[in-house]
Parts: sequence; structure tokens; C-alpha cells
Amino acid sequence: MNYYERPTPLQEQAYTEARQQFAEHLNQFKANCDAIRHIESNLPVTTNDVSRAALQSSGRIIQTDDGAQWQHAVDLTKITSVCHRRTAAGLEFAVVECLPLKSGDMKEVLNRGQDAGEVLQTFARDQRQVLNFWKNDVTAQIREYLEEKHPHQNMDIVVESFDIKLARDLSCREKLAQNHIHGVRI
Amino acid sequence: METSPENEIQTAKPPIERLAYPVQEAADMLGVHYFSIYRQIQRGKLKTCRALRGKLLVPRTELIKLLQTDLS
Repeated sequence: MNYYERPTPLQEQAYTEARQQFAEHLNQFKANCDAIRHIESNLPVTTNDVSRAALQSSGRIIQTDDGAQWQHAVDLTKITSVCHRRTAAGLEFAVVECLPLKSGDMKEVLNRGQDAGEVLQTFARDQRQVLNFWKNDVTAQIREYLEEKHPHQNMDIVVESFDIKLARDLSCREKLAQNHIHGVRI
Repeated sequence: METSPENEIQTAKPPIERLAYPVQEAADMLGVHYFSIYRQIQRGKLKTCRALRGKLLVPRTELIKLLQTDLS
């Protein structure tokens, strides 16, 4: 199929339907992509802030589910923060996720290490992989939804447009290129 | 011959136990956000399979395994 063709009225309608149906996923996905991009672009500053907090040994105490005690340094997202603690081997840093559950908060160490910068980089890389799983799954869910809603109709162009949108949200380069096109100073 | 409601209850088939669940349902069953499920998949703590169109499915056995290890 030629993707440069104009979509048919039915395909346009299907696009609107899918957009409504998956609005929560699409909005949340974009918000998470923006958050990870923000973390990546502020990596040196955040690393400095974390190192400073560790040297001052400041921050509230957080006990993770494995029983370890950490000191809070910097919030990365609403549910993740960078923490530090002193061990026999020296300073240790970790990204801790705090999930509010009905049964109580779940506090899990996502990754840890002795170099704050590396810990943050690993977190950002892992987060992108998680987003990639999410992106592919949402695209598959949209395809399934459209096939059920409009059986025997070719909805490839609609699915493809969602796939491109999600890939663009996830990609740093696309974002930069887009900003250039729109004349945004970056 | 008409079937009485009692007979219908007796002959009703037991519900089929599903073998796998989409990410959202798996998250609902565990009481966590779906992002956490994607994270567990990324970390290799939850093995998944893919339906025909590529949708991720979490096997029931994997959910039970996770509950017995991490979430317990």
C-alpha cells in the first residue's frame, strides 16, 4: 500500500476512534518520553546534584523492599528517585522506584552502582527499552482493535500512523529535527 | 422436555481458565500500574509471548511465579 495516499473517510474515522480508545496510553506514553528526554538532557546537572547530596550525607531515609536503607538525593520522576548510601566499599547510588499500592508502598531498587552518572545513564537506557516494549504493544493493540471494529478493511495506513507517532515521541533525533523544522531554537 | 434452572446450573460448563493475559489485565490482577509490567518484562522477570498481531501476553504461570518471588 502506498502510504503517501490520502486516507479514506473510513480510515480517518477509524483513526479518530482509535485515538479516543487509546487516549490514556498515548498521553501517558508521550509524558513518559518527555520525562526520559528531560532526564537525559539534564544528566550532568543531576549527577552533580546527586554527588553533592551524597557528600553532604543529606536526604530522608528510604527503606527498600530488600531491607536496605538509602538516603534520598534527587527526584527523577513522580515515582523514581536517585538515592545514595555509604557502604564498606564506598558510596553507592541507586535509582529507587516507589509504587503506591493498596497493600502499601513498594520500593524497589531499579539499578545501582558506585558511579552516579553511570547509574543514571543505565536507568535512562533501561527506561527507553521499557518504552519500546510499550510502544510495540500499544501498536499491536491498536491493530487488533481496528481489525475487530472494521473487519475486512485495510487499516494498515492507520496503524502505521500511530506507529510513526509513538516512534517520534520516543526518538530524540526526531524531536530535534521537528524543532528545527518549526524554527525552534534549541 | 423443558430444562429446569437447576438442571441448567448442573450442566453449565466450568469457566475456562485462561492461559495468558494482556498487559493491562496482568497489571490489574497484580494491582500494579501497567508500566510496571512492561518494566518487569524489560528486566526479564516476566516472560511473555506474542499474539498473532504482536500483542504481548503474560502467561498465567509467569504471574504466579512473580508473585511467589518478588511481590510476596
